[in-house]
Amino acid sequence: MPLLIKRIPELSLLIFGTVAVYISIGLLSELNDTNILTADGAWALVVGSFLMSFVIAIVAVIGGVGGGVLFTPVMLGFTSMDSLLVRSTGLVVAMFSGLVSSGPFMRKGLADIRIVFYCAIPIIIGAMMGAQVAISMADSMGEAGDALVRLLLGFILVFIAVMFIMGGSKNEYPKRKFIDKISEKMNLTSAYYEESLGKNIYYQAVRVLPGGLLFLVVGFTGGFFGLGGGWAVVPVLNLVMTVPLKVSAASSGVLLAMGNAAAIWPYIMKGALIASFAAPWMLGQVVGGIIGAHVLSKINAGFVRNILIVLLLMTSVKLISRGIEGYFGIDVPIL
Amino acid sequence: MSDLKDDQPDNRAIETGNTEKRPPVSYAGIVYGDIIYWGTLAGAFVVLLGSVITFTTTNNYLDPSYMLSSLLDGKSVAEIWQGAEGIGAAPDGHWYLTVLGTGNGLTMLGIAMGVFSVTPAIFASAYFLFTDGDKLFATVAAVAGLITIYAMF
Repeated sequence: MPLLIKRIPELSLLIFGTVAVYISIGLLSELNDTNILTADGAWALVVGSFLMSFVIAIVAVIGGVGGGVLFTPVMLGFTSMDSLLVRSTGLVVAMFSGLVSSGPFMRKGLADIRIVFYCAIPIIIGAMMGAQVAISMADSMGEAGDALVRLLLGFILVFIAVMFIMGGSKNEYPKRKFIDKISEKMNLTSAYYEESLGKNIYYQAVRVLPGGLLFLVVGFTGGFFGLGGGWAVVPVLNLVMTVPLKVSAASSGVLLAMGNAAAIWPYIMKGALIASFAAPWMLGQVVGGIIGAHVLSKINAGFVRNILIVLLLMTSVKLISRGIEGYFGIDVPIL
Repeated sequence: MSDLKDDQPDNRAIETGNTEKRPPVSYAGIVYGDIIYWGTLAGAFVVLLGSVITFTTTNNYLDPSYMLSSLLDGKSVAEIWQGAEGIGAAPDGHWYLTVLGTGNGLTMLGIAMGVFSVTPAIFASAYFLFTDGDKLFATVAAVAGLITIYAMF
């Protein structure tokens, strides 16, 4: 870690700045006590948010998911915060680690810029639609809408957890059996250097039309639930479009940052993103995202994924029970 | 390669470190990544400045004590803005640009800078794809960039 900070001076400056800011806030705070939160409690909430976001960013990078998949369900399941606020902050959590990792992935030649731009259009459109529907639903359905969101998200989390348990059926170097006409015309061919084999891997993305339609759905889900969508983007690229796994994972981070960037504007403009609350989460993602990408190779990813699966299943149970209670008015004696 | 016998595996790549020549990295991709990386970092520093002002001064558009308490209390977005002293309603548009002298405004500007960095990155990348002769994907990139601009309004 000290070597890492030395190698990346801007990271050192950011860590130093963040520590200095949070110490200053602790010493010079102008916060007032309220019925719900003392001034010290407010400071602890802000600093705690930064630290949790930092851990989520590292765990997310190692576990191969976006931070939104961890942040949004946990906050919706275990706090009474408004779902629209949680989802907008979830988008911040989902996108900022992707934003800072775009540079390194592009320089290493792992993320394919042409595939990213092709997939970006449906994912951006889907994300914008999802965000608008989320805001409209919050305006028109109120608490019932909140409960419905929790219920639906609970089911999605079960699906994600099952995907992880099944191993995701990922294919490191998928073989394409045929090339459809549209894919042939678009010529999404490229190559990347595989360090472990010491050779170049050549590939061509196929099924571009079905892939595009799936990205529309992924974008909508991400924009609506504030999840991001990395859990879905990698399988679509890898299994549907036959893009090698490493390129899929790298392109996924870049692609989601782009899609979520479009989704977040409606939330910002409607005041559904509260800056002072989202700020520590954003900072944690930036710092954690840079560090996570560098320590990835040293950590046992399998162990982290098992913890993720347990967390996702626990959170899904809580979300489904809260959703049933809120939407149908039925008491569910769980957790 | 010519001095290897047919049944002899070619381990020279691993033994000597001589491996296949790496494919060129797309300059359009590098430009995209670097603009976003530095734009996000710049935004992060602005967020730090905004956070200091928010929590250590009273120069705020939305009182942070009230805001954090309301969040934990489960109040909706509309309720938080309606109950805020001197505001009374949720904002519309790029409201933070009108209150950049406050902690909240500056913090939101920092977040917006990170989000916005995607747009110039896309267009810069599109330009280099075009100069590289890849007109189809330069156009695709430009369309993606236009959609992100549309999302901002």
